[in-house]
Amino acid sequence: MAELGRAALVLTFGLVVYALVAGVYAAMARRRRLARSAQNALLAAFISTAVAAGVLWAAFARKDFSFVYVANHSALKLPLAYRLSAFWGGQEGSLLLWLLILTGFSAAAVLLDRRATRELLAWVTPVLGGVACFFAFMLVFVASPFGTQVAPADGAGLNPSLQNPYMLAHPPMLYLGYVGLTIPWAFGMGALLSGRTDERWIVATRRWTLAAWMFLGIGQLLGSHWAYVEVGWGGYYAWDPVENAALMPWLAATAFLHSVMIQEKRGMLRVWNMLLVILAFALSLFGTFLTRSGVINSIHSFTQSSIGPWFLGFIGVVVAFSLTLVFWRLPLLRSKTKLESLVSREATFLYNNLLLVALTLTILWGVTFPILSEAVRGTAITVSKPYYNFFLRSFGLPLLLLMGIGPLVPWRRASLRSLERTFLWPLGIAVAAGVVVIAFGGGSSKVGLITYTFAAFVAASIGLEFVRGTRARHALTGGSWVVAFGGLVARNRRRYGGYVVHAAIVLLAVGIAGSSLYQTVREQKLQRGQSMTVAGYTLAYRSFQTKKGPNSVESRALLAVSRGKHSLGTLDPGKNFYPVEQQTSNEVAIRPNWATGEDLYVIADQIDADGSVYFKVLVKPAVNLIWLAGFVFVLGSVIALWPDAREERRLAERYGTAGAAVRA
Amino acid sequence: MNIALVLAALLAVGLVLYVARPFLREPEAADDALETPGEDELRRLALAEERDRALQALRELEFDHRTGKVSDEDYRALVGPLRRAAAEALRAVDAGREEAAGGEHAPDGP
Amino acid sequence: MARKRNPARLVIALSVAGVLAVFLLYTSIAGGGTPSLSPSTLAGHTGRVSLAGAVVGPLTGDAHRGGLHFRVKDINGKAAATTAVVYTGSVPDLFKVGSHIVVDGSLRNGTFVAVPGTLVTKCPSKYTPKKS
Repeated sequence: MAELGRAALVLTFGLVVYALVAGVYAAMARRRRLARSAQNALLAAFISTAVAAGVLWAAFARKDFSFVYVANHSALKLPLAYRLSAFWGGQEGSLLLWLLILTGFSAAAVLLDRRATRELLAWVTPVLGGVACFFAFMLVFVASPFGTQVAPADGAGLNPSLQNPYMLAHPPMLYLGYVGLTIPWAFGMGALLSGRTDERWIVATRRWTLAAWMFLGIGQLLGSHWAYVEVGWGGYYAWDPVENAALMPWLAATAFLHSVMIQEKRGMLRVWNMLLVILAFALSLFGTFLTRSGVINSIHSFTQSSIGPWFLGFIGVVVAFSLTLVFWRLPLLRSKTKLESLVSREATFLYNNLLLVALTLTILWGVTFPILSEAVRGTAITVSKPYYNFFLRSFGLPLLLLMGIGPLVPWRRASLRSLERTFLWPLGIAVAAGVVVIAFGGGSSKVGLITYTFAAFVAASIGLEFVRGTRARHALTGGSWVVAFGGLVARNRRRYGGYVVHAAIVLLAVGIAGSSLYQTVREQKLQRGQSMTVAGYTLAYRSFQTKKGPNSVESRALLAVSRGKHSLGTLDPGKNFYPVEQQTSNEVAIRPNWATGEDLYVIADQIDADGSVYFKVLVKPAVNLIWLAGFVFVLGSVIALWPDAREERRLAERYGTAGAAVRA
Repeated sequence: MNIALVLAALLAVGLVLYVARPFLREPEAADDALETPGEDELRRLALAEERDRALQALRELEFDHRTGKVSDEDYRALVGPLRRAAAEALRAVDAGREEAAGGEHAPDGP
Repeated sequence: MARKRNPARLVIALSVAGVLAVFLLYTSIAGGGTPSLSPSTLAGHTGRVSLAGAVVGPLTGDAHRGGLHFRVKDINGKAAATTAVVYTGSVPDLFKVGSHIVVDGSLRNGTFVAVPGTLVTKCPSKYTPKKS
C-alpha cells in the first residue's frame, strides 16, 4: 500500500505544478477555462493528498511496521489514539499534515469564493499552488513518509510523556493556525498581482485570519498546559525557541487583525497591512522550520535534519517574492486618507500594532541571536528568560493598557472633555483595585501591582462598553435587558466578540502575573512523618508506595495537606518508570483552589533509597485563570467569527452590483 | 501490491479528468475571456466602498453618541461633515450606475 | 495645521526610536546573553556560559546533597574531549547517561560548576532515524 501513498503524492505534485503554471498563464492571458482548470487542479490535489494521508493513517491503525515511518513512531502496545496521532510525530508526517491542511484550505477557499472573486481567484490559485509545490516536492523527493523495510517485530514506540490528550490536539491545532495564515497571504499576493486596489481580499480572508489566529492561540495554550501538568517543572512557558516559534506568528497575526479593521473603516495602512500579512506568513513558515530542523539548540530540537536548508530557501523565496510585489504595486497601494488625530481609535490601533510588531521582532531577535552571533563571532550566544521577560513587560504592559483605552476613544478624533467623562469610571476602578491589591500584600512586586491595576482598568472599560451598549439598545427597542444584551451582541458580533477576547487576555495577564510574580517556592527534604509549610499550607509526608501500572512502575509519596486545622485532602506526587522505554517521568501533584484560582504544586524531585523524598513545592496564585482564559478566548473568537446575514447582504450588494453591471 | 497500482491509476485518471473538465464541457467556447473588472468597474467598486465606509462611520457615530462615548458637542461637530461625505458618496455611486446604464444604450460609447 | 501632514509617520518614527532606546538600554544594563558552548569549545572561557553536551557516566553523588558529578562530551561525537560537571538542584526526568543536556555555569579549576537548577534535557531524538 505504500506504493499507493507514494503515487498519490506524486500525483499531488503534478497537480499543484499544473495549478501553478496553468494558473499563471490563465491569469495573464485571461483564459477562463484554463483558470477554472487550474482551480480544479487544487481541489484534485486535496483529494490525492487525502488518499496519501489515508494510506499512512491506515498503516498506523493496522500496525504495519513495513512502513519505516510507522515503525519509528509507534509500537504494538500503543493505544489507537496515539498511533493515529503519531502521524505527525515526525518530520515526514508533519510535512504531509501541512500539505493536507493546505490543500484542504485551498480547496475550501476556491469553493467558497468562486462566484464572488473570479478575477482575484485567478491569481490566488497559482500562489497557493506554488506553496503546495514546495511541500509536495519535499514529500516526493526529500522526505517521503512512505519508505518501506522488512517489518521489524515491534516499533520504536512513543515517548510516554507525549501519551497525553493535550499532545493529541496540540500539533494539529498549531498546524491549522500556521497553514491558515497562508490564505490571507495568498489573497494579498493575488490582489497585488491582479492590480486590484479595493478591499476585496481583506473582506474575503477576514474569517480565515481570525480562525487561524484562534487555532494558533488554542494550540499554544494546550502546549503550555501540557508542559505544566506533564513535564512538571512548575512552569508553563520557558521561552524555548520552539515555543516562541508559535508565539511570533500569533503576535503578528494579532497586529494584522487590528490593522485590517482600520483599512476597512478608513482605507488607511494598505502598505502596512501587506507587510504584516507577509510577516505573519513568513513567521509561520519559520516556526515550522524551527520546530523541525534542529537549527537552534532547543529542548525540542530533533537531530539536524535534511529539510532545514530547503525550508530556509523557501522562506527566502517567499519573502523576496512578496516584497517585490509590494514594491511593484506601491503606487497603487498609497492611500489618500490621513490620520486625523493622535488621540483617536485609529491611533490606538496604530500604537497597538507598533507594540505588537516590536515585541515580535525582539522575540525574533532573541531566537535568531545564537545563529547570528555564531556566524559573526564564532560562538553561539543565547538569551533567555531575563531578556524575554524584560521585553514582555516593556511592551506587554502598555499593550494591556491600550486594550482598555481603545474602546473608550471614538473614531477620527476625541475631545479631551468627552474623554474625561468616559475615562472617569475605569480610572477610578483601577485605582481602587490598586489599593485593594496593596492591602492584600501585592505591593511586593511592582510589576505585579501595575499589571493588576491595568487589568482592572481594562476590565472596567470592557464592562462599561457592555453596560452602555445594552442600555442604549434597551432605550431603543425596549423589552427585557437580556434581550437587549443579546441583540446588542448579535448586531455587533465583531466588536463584542472582540471585547470578550480582550477579557480573555485580561484573565491571561492576571494569571501570568499572579503565578510568576507572586508565587512561593520552597524545597525541602522530608523523612516519613516530617512536614513542611509553604504559604499557609502544611504538607505532612505520610507514606511511600510503589505500584505496578499497565506499562510502568509507579512510585508515589503520600502527603496530607492542611491549612491550619482544616484538612485539605491528600496529594501523591512521584515518578513513573517505564521499563520498555527505560525512562522515568515526573508525575507532579496539583491541588487547585477553585475559589482563588491558585494551585498547590508539588514535585517529588528526588526519591532516596531510605524513603526520604526531596520535595519542591510551589504555590502559584491565579494560575488557573490562564486555562479559563482559553475558554473565554474561544468564546469571543466564535462570536466574532459567527456569520452575520446582514453583513453578508451588504457585501453581496457591494460586489454583486459591480459584477452585474459588467455582465449586462 | 497490484491493487495499490490499480487504485493509483484509477485515482490519476479520475483527477486528470476533473482537471480537464472545463475543456471537456466546452470544447469550443464562444467566450473564453476571464471576467476581469474594467476601469469603470473598479472605479464603481471604489465608490461603493467609499459609500459603505461613510455610512458605517455615520452609524458608528450615532452608536457612540447614544452610548455616551461621544459628547453632544462633539457629535454636533462631527456629524455634519460625515453626513455630507455620506451624501456625496451615495451621489457618486448613483451617478456611476447611471453612467453605466446610459453607456450601454448609447451607440457611441467610448 | 502641521498635524494634518500625516502624524502617522511621526508616530512611527518616534516609536522605532523608542524601541531602539529600550533595546539599547536593556542590553547595556543586563549585558548580552550567555555563550552556548560544547566541551570541545569550553576551554578558556571564564564567566557564565551555557554548556551543551551528551552525558557520560558514571553518575556519582547526589544533586541535593553535595552535588551530582558526571561528565559531558560533544553531541556530535567528533571530539573526544569530556568535561567534568558538578551540579546541584532539580534533575529532570529524562536525565541519564546518553541524554543531551544544557546547563549553565562556569569553568573552575577544570570542573564545570553548574548554576543550581539550570539543568535541562532535550527531548530524546527518537523521532527521526539516527543519522550518524
